[in-house]
Amino acid sequence: MAYAATADHVHIDDHPSGWRRWVLSTNHKDIGTMYILFGAFGALFGSVLSLLIRLQLAHPGGTLLAGGEFQIYNVVITAHGLLMIFFFVMPVLIGGFGNWFVPLMIGAPDMAFPRLNNISFWLLIPSLILLTLSIVVGSGAGTGWTFYPPLSSVGQPGAAVDFMLVSLHLAGASSILGAINFITTIFNMRAPGMTMHKVPLFVWGILVTAFLLLLAVPVLAGAITMLLTDRGFGTTFFEPAGGGDPLLFQHLFWFFGHPEVYIMILPAFGVISQVVSTFARKPVFGYLGMAYAMVSIGVIGFVVWAHHMFAVGLDVNVNAYFTAATLIIAVPTGIKIFSWIATMWGGSLTFETPMLYAVGFIILFVIGGVTGVTLANGGVDISLHDTYFVVAHFHYVLSMGALFGIFAGFYYWFPKMTGKMIPNWMGNIHFWITFIGVNVIFFPMHFLGLAGMPRRIPDYPEAFSGWNYIASIGALMTFAGAIYFAFIVFYGFKWGKKAPANPWGEGATTLEWTLSSPPPFHTFETQPHIP
Amino acid sequence: MKEKRRSTLIILLSLAFGMLALTFASSALFRLFCEKTGHGGTTQVARKMPTRVEDRVITVRFNADTQRNLPWEFKPLQKQITVKAGEVGLAYYHGINKSQTPTVGMATYNVTPHKAGIYFNKVECFCFLEQHLEAGQETDFPVQFFIDPAIVEDPTMDEVDTITLSYTFFPLAKGTNLKW
Ligand code: HEM
Ligand SMILES: [Cu+2]
Repeated sequence: MAYAATADHVHIDDHPSGWRRWVLSTNHKDIGTMYILFGAFGALFGSVLSLLIRLQLAHPGGTLLAGGEFQIYNVVITAHGLLMIFFFVMPVLIGGFGNWFVPLMIGAPDMAFPRLNNISFWLLIPSLILLTLSIVVGSGAGTGWTFYPPLSSVGQPGAAVDFMLVSLHLAGASSILGAINFITTIFNMRAPGMTMHKVPLFVWGILVTAFLLLLAVPVLAGAITMLLTDRGFGTTFFEPAGGGDPLLFQHLFWFFGHPEVYIMILPAFGVISQVVSTFARKPVFGYLGMAYAMVSIGVIGFVVWAHHMFAVGLDVNVNAYFTAATLIIAVPTGIKIFSWIATMWGGSLTFETPMLYAVGFIILFVIGGVTGVTLANGGVDISLHDTYFVVAHFHYVLSMGALFGIFAGFYYWFPKMTGKMIPNWMGNIHFWITFIGVNVIFFPMHFLGLAGMPRRIPDYPEAFSGWNYIASIGALMTFAGAIYFAFIVFYGFKWGKKAPANPWGEGATTLEWTLSSPPPFHTFETQPHIP
Repeated sequence: MKEKRRSTLIILLSLAFGMLALTFASSALFRLFCEKTGHGGTTQVARKMPTRVEDRVITVRFNADTQRNLPWEFKPLQKQITVKAGEVGLAYYHGINKSQTPTVGMATYNVTPHKAGIYFNKVECFCFLEQHLEAGQETDFPVQFFIDPAIVEDPTMDEVDTITLSYTFFPLAKGTNLKW
């Protein structure tokens, strides 16, 4: 490759070992590894809870989570949502892949603020501990991941909700610090010649994500603080009795919450772009369009939040505005889908596991996008809001979108990160189990939602039992796939063949493939020159 | 390089803190926004009396709710009255404290259709102040209002011939110092 010569020169340096290497780590690859391990734990935790939910709902009249008048069920769905978002998807996609590959892809020696990076990671540990406490203390936090007052203020006075809120404060602080680090790195530490219009699309994905985090998470932090003082110190920000308004909370929450859903998907967009271009052996079609589509998704994402609030009684004109604004987001999203297809078109395609996941991503994300556009119509949403149709929508974009993005990235970069290959056929089997499993879980939820089954309920009338049973079977299947995945990873480490610097061939053109697999501890101390 | 990183850091930190500050300000801004625009059916406080009366007749209906923690009975004394746009109307609600202890309540309010909020002016209202009722005490709560005659010039208000004025009484949260 063009820039290989300057890349991996031997570096003998202080190389901390033992626990110091990890606890005091300032190395972007080590921190990335820790994020991925942490995310794997979060995923396992969250998946076990999701399995409990599906077991409760497998038959009408379920009693598995019936304790405390079904408060246990409420606690489980709350923790499931928060774990998957804050302790699985975000740590793996942003903290894990972002830390590992942003510096490598732009030819930087490390992140801009390595010690800050360390703090960002370690803040997540107390945050997860507090979230765990919020499950077990008292009757637990059963507010849903959106914790609307008055349920979360006067409705559940115990300490559990406070633990949950403080946990999110810490996770939020971690995200903001991480975002600052990424932006500073990408703006100031690119290798000479690597202009913004040359950085790989994964880096663009992380950059836009970081800006969303920087501007949205402080709003969540403010709303949480107001909720905490409403709960503990007699303020009335969200309490009508004192002149407050519970709807204000929903506005603040979704001003954060909608950008948050893009925070979870933009890095995955980036991964998919890298993977598709690699296995089509072509540069991404319409690179600039792809980059600026992400920017415009990020910008428009800040002015559509009330599509989560169509049913609260907003003015009809307000609903009309939010309908129109939301539909506009489908345009840049469509640009991305078409560009991926155009990249594959006429390419010399091969379907290694990462590519299977990328194609799966594109197909399933389109389904999620179509249901999103359906829900974006304020009039339609009045009848679909808070039904399983919404649950189906956001699991197609998250539990298939973001999750498939994670798997695509994981299989793509596993050889780079570990120096070992995972046999293709093993990964492909995992893909098919997961692909079928998640569709069996979530496709029937469209029917349940259209038939009027409300979300967040622990029981349902007999009429809904057929599709619920099928969804639960899908959950078991997906879970079996997850266990098999753990085995694959173990197999790869133990028996996997040694990975070459670039196992994917001529399509893999980004800088990380110029380095050995795994890369040396320090990389790009002399930055490569990009022609 | 270090310099540039530092200045980027400072810009980004101020963006984040700026958003945090805006969030805290949002509570006051949200209220101000509703008051100024009549958003959500927020009624207006009359600054001066209307100077003309139009022929347009509007029925004003009255609704009353009580939050369940407030041991009051609260209801309008008339179901509805009709006024002309620009004419000052007077209506009464009636409250009884059914408990053995003195209690303090405060009423929230709006009108439907929401778009009528900007035209609905209150001259005097029990909802401007907190209300004390001794144990068992009964009292009448007056509200004096008019509908801005400018309503006749707004074509989007053409089909509005009924406006519902609604109140909900809440017990005053402990430790609150009310400034609406
Ligand atoms: C074409 C793009 C999209 C459109 C038009 C869209 C539209 C919507 C609408 C209108 C709702 C509210 C439904 C309701 O509560 O009644 C919604 C909910 C949701 N969407 Fe999307 N969406 C899109 C893409 C995405 C993406 C990419 C993600 C995440 C990766 C996402 C995640 C969610 C989540 C998590 C919820 C539910 C939040 C909750 O109530 O718990 N959406 N979407
Ligand atoms: Cu949204």
